[in-house]
Amino acid sequence: MYTADIRKPLVLGGKTYTDVTNDVCRPIENKPTNSWWLGFSIAVLLLLILAGTLAWTVWEGIGTWNVNKSVMWGWDITNFVFWVGIGHAGTLISAVLLLFRQKWRMSINRSAEAMTIFAVFCAAIFPLFHMGRVWLGFWPLPLPNAFGSLWVNFNSPLLWDVFAISTYLSVSLVFWYLGLIPDIATIRDRATSKARKFWYGFFAMGWNGSAKAWGRYEVVALILAGISTPLVLSVHTIVSMDFATSVIPGWHTTIFPPYFVAGAIFSGFGMVLTLLLIARHVMNYENYITSEHLEAMTKIILLTGSIVGVAYITEFVIAAYSGYEYEQYAFANRMFGPYAWAYWTMMFCNLMAPQVFWSKWARTTPWFIFVISIVVNIGMWFERFVIIVTSLHRDFLPSSWVMYHATWVEVGIFLGTFGLFFTCFFLFAKFLPVINMAEVKTIIKDNE
Amino acid sequence: MVDKSILLDNKKFTVGTFTDSDKLLHAVETLRKKGVKIFDCYTPFPVHHLDHALGYTRTNLTIGAFLCGMLGSLSGFTLAYSMNVVDWPMIIGGKPQDINVFTSFIPVIFELTILFTAFGMVIMFFARNRMMHGIKEDLLDRRQTDDHLLIAIDNSEAQSLSNDEIQTILVNEGAVKVKGNVEAFNTSLTTEEDLEIVIGNNEGAAVIN
Repeated sequence: MYTADIRKPLVLGGKTYTDVTNDVCRPIENKPTNSWWLGFSIAVLLLLILAGTLAWTVWEGIGTWNVNKSVMWGWDITNFVFWVGIGHAGTLISAVLLLFRQKWRMSINRSAEAMTIFAVFCAAIFPLFHMGRVWLGFWPLPLPNAFGSLWVNFNSPLLWDVFAISTYLSVSLVFWYLGLIPDIATIRDRATSKARKFWYGFFAMGWNGSAKAWGRYEVVALILAGISTPLVLSVHTIVSMDFATSVIPGWHTTIFPPYFVAGAIFSGFGMVLTLLLIARHVMNYENYITSEHLEAMTKIILLTGSIVGVAYITEFVIAAYSGYEYEQYAFANRMFGPYAWAYWTMMFCNLMAPQVFWSKWARTTPWFIFVISIVVNIGMWFERFVIIVTSLHRDFLPSSWVMYHATWVEVGIFLGTFGLFFTCFFLFAKFLPVINMAEVKTIIKDNE
Repeated sequence: MVDKSILLDNKKFTVGTFTDSDKLLHAVETLRKKGVKIFDCYTPFPVHHLDHALGYTRTNLTIGAFLCGMLGSLSGFTLAYSMNVVDWPMIIGGKPQDINVFTSFIPVIFELTILFTAFGMVIMFFARNRMMHGIKEDLLDRRQTDDHLLIAIDNSEAQSLSNDEIQTILVNEGAVKVKGNVEAFNTSLTTEEDLEIVIGNNEGAAVIN
């Protein structure tokens, strides 16, 4: 057992192995609480809005959205990038922090990974439906084509995105499921009802915790972390290339890949904090998700928020210095044009607000962190909105300048994806262990 | 649920139950030093250095993962090259489609490398551990996935010490419970009464402590 005296314990309350199992299994084995039912009902209601607005989009066509010849990407792609970005914190926590041997990840990685998967579900809706004819959604796949041997274009970042996002989703699912197996086995062996014995037994795949299996398991988890790290960087790099490889002023920027990756981690941690602060309060996990965890995450928010802030300023300085009139106009228009309110909201939420985390009080006060995490979520949505809409609405030809405002259908789809996200999350919190029991049991005695 | 035992079928084990990972590790080291052959250990969480203490060598799964990754790279390149260069070059803006556009295939090659590595390795991991959906688990203690750490010694194996001596060592090393004649059982799709009978039968030989 390794102890570092300058560190505080990772799990508080002097928990034993039995306590960990009991605490984590309690919400699964008991009937859902009233607050669970309330939250779940609201989420399902929003999910119904998603179903309704998507059905209307398919029935009536993309004309139900306000996208037009100039602003051909509006809320749809904004939301896509927003949700994909949120997913990144999960992989960062489980993969990058595993490689860096950061043990504080252990009590939060399970829910962060779940968040990744649900966020990617939400993200995938937008590119599929913005193509207009969702029943032809298989066209971006490298399949032989009904009209001859015309294949997909491997030079296009949009196709790279298809590969990147689907790989990201499937690898994240595998990583998540692998981590769940020992915990599912724990629930199986405690189960009393026949249905629970069967289903947890089915998904536990006969796991019995043999030392041979654990040895292999740890190697596999390490390699998965090793390959997930470049994967997560590649995914948002490729998303940024959807913009950066175009010749639109405001998009055609070499800084985009690192800037998007930092922004993704920033927004992802914002969402992780939002979710965990609620979960820790509702499920009484204060001993597992301690103020140490919150502090570590707020420090990451501070770092990535500052990186994003530096990127905003760099982008602006480079545009001013470029001597390229259109680029200069695109940025002046962002700051002082008709969408200036969105730009300054973004600047406030992403650059200014996280700077409060220089203060120890701010880093350790849950309600305050919760407020800032919401601010970060809002700011990062506006970042994508600003990048997409302000760059498009005034292009090279002033006769095609337009304003873009979302319709109720677009707003409904966006709200609806929150319904999908939270429905998945509530079901996850009911049926699967929110905290990785097996990993937490290895650190309950450690100070690190 | 497949009614099939995985590894432990029809064997009887001497099982030492621990509630502390450091004690378990020490017991394994002591037993191995005295030449006792340990069948396996069962723990609810990974115990560091236990695989070294048991004398297990590092798994070769990484080599398999590397090969899967190579296969993924090759598939990615073949896919893009055969479609966009060989079969139907898509000439956009007069730009040629030949081996020089290789660089724009790299993202797809990279993603397929990761995909093949992850899936290949995890499938090999399941195969190596005899894990499958619906297979019945083999347990020696109902709480081995909860808070009990077990050392299992196969009774049919020839040992340097007698079974009584092994049991004494286990007790001295801090085992909270030592049983001499344990059979594997499973919990999924087994009623509570069945389970009691199985566990009851296992309350064999020397129950100490």
